[in-house]
Amino acid sequence: MSITRYGYRNAISGFFEFPTENAKRLLPPHLEPLEPHHGTSIFSLTAFEFTESMVGPYGEVVASVIVAPLIREGERFPKSAFYPYQVGTTTQAARDHAIERWHLPHWMEDLEVAFSQGGGEITVKVAEGGSPIAEMTIAEHVASPVSHLYQCFMHNGNGSYMANITMEGQQSEHEDERGRLTLFEHPFHQGLVIEDVADLPFRELWMRDGQQLFDPLLRLGSA
Amino acid sequence: MEAARKKDAERAPFSDYDYSSFYHGAGDDPVNILGPFAAWYQEALQAGYYLYSEPLHSAPSTRVLVENGKTGQLRELLNLASYNYLGISYREEVKAAAVEAVKKYGLGASGSPILSGTFDIHRKLAQAVADFKDKEASILFPTGYSANVGFISAIMRAGDNIFLDQYSHASIVDGAILAKSKTVFFRHNNPLDLERKLGRCTGKKLVAVEGVYSMDGDVCALPEIVEVAKRHGARILIDEAHSTFLFGPNGRGVAEHFGLDQEVDFHLGTFSKSLGGQGGFVCGSRELIDYLNGFSRSRFFSCNLSPILAAGLLAGLKIVEEEPQLRAKLWSNVAFLRRRFAEEGVDIGKSTSQVMPVLVNDDAKVFGVAEKIQEGGLYLQPVTYPAVPKHKSRLRISVSAAHTEEDLEQAVGVIAGVLREQGMLCR
Repeated sequence: MSITRYGYRNAISGFFEFPTENAKRLLPPHLEPLEPHHGTSIFSLTAFEFTESMVGPYGEVVASVIVAPLIREGERFPKSAFYPYQVGTTTQAARDHAIERWHLPHWMEDLEVAFSQGGGEITVKVAEGGSPIAEMTIAEHVASPVSHLYQCFMHNGNGSYMANITMEGQQSEHEDERGRLTLFEHPFHQGLVIEDVADLPFRELWMRDGQQLFDPLLRLGSA
Repeated sequence: MEAARKKDAERAPFSDYDYSSFYHGAGDDPVNILGPFAAWYQEALQAGYYLYSEPLHSAPSTRVLVENGKTGQLRELLNLASYNYLGISYREEVKAAAVEAVKKYGLGASGSPILSGTFDIHRKLAQAVADFKDKEASILFPTGYSANVGFISAIMRAGDNIFLDQYSHASIVDGAILAKSKTVFFRHNNPLDLERKLGRCTGKKLVAVEGVYSMDGDVCALPEIVEVAKRHGARILIDEAHSTFLFGPNGRGVAEHFGLDQEVDFHLGTFSKSLGGQGGFVCGSRELIDYLNGFSRSRFFSCNLSPILAAGLLAGLKIVEEEPQLRAKLWSNVAFLRRRFAEEGVDIGKSTSQVMPVLVNDDAKVFGVAEKIQEGGLYLQPVTYPAVPKHKSRLRISVSAAHTEEDLEQAVGVIAGVLREQGMLCR
C-alpha cells in the first residue's frame, strides 16, 4: 500500500487540558498521555474539510488524546502523537474507508460538520440530525507553509497500529487562548467527562489548502 | 517504504522541535532517547542553544566576562541576566563575611541540618530572616527548589488538593507531585478560574502562588486570590523568590506590598535572587517550623547550606536592612527602563517588576535575535517553549539596583536596534 492522500481546505485543531485520570480511561494500556502539567493531559478536537480523497469530499471530526510519540534514532522526529478515540464523518463511504484502512474507531452515523469563517476566526459546528455535539472556534495567527510529521495510534481487538501522517499546508499556530470550545451532552463523547475539559484551548492550530499524507499502517507488537 | 525513507532523509528545521519533543523514547531501553536527542541537540547548539550556560569568568556584577559558547573567546558584556537584583553578592562586606567564615568553618556543613550540619551561623541567619519577615521563626533550605518541594510535600498528603497557577515554578509543581496530592492548575493569575476549581473540591486545600512570576515579571493578583481562597477554606502559600527583599514598605515581599502579610499562611523565599546567593527559607509560626524540621525530606536528606554561604547571606541581609535606598534605586531603574522601552516600542508584556521579558514572539527567530544582541555587547538569554508558551519567545532581563542609567540606556539602544532591524518593534 502506498501513501494515501487527502486534500483539505481547512483542518483545525484545538488542544484542551483535561484530567489525566480521564485520559487514561480513554487510552489503551500501551499508550501514555502527554502531560503539559502534572495530572493534566491534552484532549484535542480536530475538524477537517476534505476536498479530495479516494472517497470524495467529506467532513470529519476527530476526538483524540495526545500521547507520547515513538522517537527513534535515524528517523524523522514526529511533532507529536495522538490517539483518536472517536471519529465522526459526514459520509458512509468515508467511514467505511477509514475503518477498513486505518482501524479508526467511528461514530457510525453521518454527522453534520459545518465550517464558517470571519473576523480572523474559523468555527466548526458538529451535530447529528440537528442535535449538537461540539462547537469549536480557532483564531488565526501568522500562517506559514509547513510539512509536519505526526504519529497516529490505533488499537482494536486485533492489535495495535501506528501510522505516520504528514500534514502539509499553510499553518497558523499559537497559544494566545483566543479560541473556545463547547461540548454538548451527546453519546459521541462517551468516556469523556465534558465538564472537566477546559473550554479555552491552550494551543490553536489552523491549516489551510494542504494535504494529509498517510504512510502505510504499521502493526505494533501484539494486541 | 521508499516514501518513508525519502521522508526520513528530509530534515525538519531544529526549531520545529524543543526539549519537550524528547521526553519519551521508543522501545524498552531508557537510553533509546539519547541518540535522537543528541542528533537534535548538536544542531540546536550551533543554531543558538550555545547561548545557554556560557561560562562567566567574573563576578555576576553589571559587567561580566563571558566565554562565548561557540568561539570560546572571552568578552566583557553588560550583564542583564543575573538575578542579583540588589547587586549584593559581590559587595565587599559580603565577600569579607564569606572569607571569615571559610577561615572559621572550612568549606561545607559536612552534615544534615538535623544531625551535625547546623552551625551557629545557620541559627543566626534563620533568626535574622524571621525577624526581617516579621515572623516567629524560619527554617533554611539548601536551595529555593528544595524549600518548595520540601514544604509542600511536608504538609500535603495523598487525597488533599493543591491548586497551582499554570505558570507555577517547577519546584512548586514537583512539591505537589511528591506530596501525591490531587493537583489542579488554574489559569494564570485568574481568581475566577481558581474560584470555579476550588468550588468543585472538598477536603484539604492549598493554593500556591508566586509573588512575581519569573517568566513574565507580572505580580500576583494576591488580594483577589486571597479572597477566593479564604472563601473556600483553602490555605495560601506564596513563593516570594523574586519579590522578597524588594517589594513592600520593608521589603518583605508582595504579601506586605498588598498589606496581606497576615492573610497569607505560608511564606517561602530564596536567597539566590535579591541576595545573589543560594538557599531557600520558609517563615511562619514556631509550630510550623518545628513540623517542617521533622517532615521536610528535601532538607534533612541534604547537607545543610555551606556556612560560608550562611555568613555571606547574613551580611547581605544586613545590607538590605541598612540600605533601603537600594530598593529605591532598583525601582527607579525599573521605571526608567520601562519608560525607555515604551518610547522605543519594545514589548515587555505584562511585566511590572524587575523581571522584564523582551517579547520576540517568534520561536524560530529568537536565537538569531539573541546572538545579535550579544554581539551588541549584552549578556542575556533567550527563553522559548516549553518554558513559555509557543510563539511567546523572549529575552529575559533582570534589572539590578547596581545598573546605572547609562547601562540601561546602552541596553535599550542595542535591543531596540536589533529588534528594529528585524521589524519586531511595536511601532
